[in-house]
Amino acid sequence: MKTILDIKNLRKTFGNNVILENINFNLLEGESLAIIGASGSGKSVLLKNIIGLLDPDTGSIKINSTEMVNLPRKDKENLLLQLGITFQHGALFDSLRIWENIIFKIQNQQKISKVNGRKLALSIIERLSLKPEILDLFPSEISGGMQKRVAIARAICGNPKILLFDEPTSGLDPVTGSVIDKLIISAVKTIGASAITITHDMASVSRIADKVILIDNKTVSWSGTPKEMMTSNNLKIKEFIKTTNPKLFA
Amino acid sequence: MKVIINIIGSIGHKSLKFIANIGNFFLFCLSAISWIFRPPWYFKKIIFQVIDIGYFSLPVVGLTTFFSGMVLALQTYNGFTEFNSESTVARVVLTSITRELGPVLTGLMVAGRIGAKMAAEIATMRVTEQIDALSTLGTRPMQYLIAPKIIASVLCLPFLVFIGNTIGILGGYTIAIFKLDFNPDLYLYATIDNLQWIDLIQGSVKAATFGLIISMVSCYFGFNASKGAEGVGYATTASVVVSSVMILTSTYVITAMFFG
Repeated sequence: MKTILDIKNLRKTFGNNVILENINFNLLEGESLAIIGASGSGKSVLLKNIIGLLDPDTGSIKINSTEMVNLPRKDKENLLLQLGITFQHGALFDSLRIWENIIFKIQNQQKISKVNGRKLALSIIERLSLKPEILDLFPSEISGGMQKRVAIARAICGNPKILLFDEPTSGLDPVTGSVIDKLIISAVKTIGASAITITHDMASVSRIADKVILIDNKTVSWSGTPKEMMTSNNLKIKEFIKTTNPKLFA
Repeated sequence: MKVIINIIGSIGHKSLKFIANIGNFFLFCLSAISWIFRPPWYFKKIIFQVIDIGYFSLPVVGLTTFFSGMVLALQTYNGFTEFNSESTVARVVLTSITRELGPVLTGLMVAGRIGAKMAAEIATMRVTEQIDALSTLGTRPMQYLIAPKIIASVLCLPFLVFIGNTIGILGGYTIAIFKLDFNPDLYLYATIDNLQWIDLIQGSVKAATFGLIISMVSCYFGFNASKGAEGVGYATTASVVVSSVMILTSTYVITAMFFG
């Protein structure tokens, strides 16, 4: 299978503070990767390096075989259009209606009419089993769980090649979290994308991930499948497993 | 001894931070100005900003300048009666309003209303990752968020100052006629006769400068807000305070350029 994302020897510091070093992993086409790690381990910094909000000090980030580091601004922006991202708290635009939020990326690339824009947004939310009634509401008028679902809808608009989810189930009850996980699986299958999910939620990991990497001590200290986590001797992995129901990984 | 060293170190650290912030602000201004001239331009957003700044600020600007004109006429009359120079009230009101009070009061009112709003809006977007989301959706935040606000501010402030000046002069006229028993025709004639182009031009230059200051400062503090509600609060108050100080400083500089 083709490698869609390849990270080699990535290092990131803030002043004298080393956040990440010697980060190496890849993502295959159609694969779903979960990145786990303790709070403050650098998972969000890693995500921001991948999505171009931060530049690594050294190392390589290749998206679809194109090197992103030191790429000219315009080329980098075009490359990053292949990504679809959901942020931890949704990050929906308060002043835009739900349908305008969903089609925002497409609207800026190609001017589409209001009628066609609403139709496109409707087709996307129907794929994610969301109600059409929310289209004309503002983000402040829907619940937090609904905002996360709309954020997923916005991420998949435009059929990106890689979907990135930053703590998609944080702050949600287990039932809604399970719904979000199903949406992630459905979204990935619907558009045939690869996925990277940053999460603390081991129940989510068991449901959505084909592969897991652990960020610990500034680097990737373990990688494997969710089932391999059960028999791993890595102390951090054991701690993560202890917090959840081992039967999830059976 | 350690205490003294710590105090000196703290002063040095704060001084360096202050200078770094000034440098960051100028880099922000250069970047923002460069994005104003590059396509795509978000005309819909510019129009919304023009309406918000230019139209919805009219009531507060009108009220401020009207009452300022009234006070100015009254105080000038009271002061000049000692020298039997009551007839110069019209000229003093006109010159004071068009050269200084009109632009400065308008600038301060808009800084308080629009500047705070801009800073709060952008700071909230920063702390809720909406600005990061913009970048990831193929949109440049400086171009989409900041440039329309700067364009609208620079365009609207001269218009607001013109309206404010007119209403301020009307305030002076109202007091002069209905309280001080001036002849309406003579007062109006004295006002028009003393109106000079240099006053209007200087007022417009000040207005555009204030528009630039308010938008740049507010957008800078909003864009660089730190996390959380405290960051939003700081950005909002800092934008109003710094804008106001810069308006008062720059009004002297521009006045000196024209009449120095």
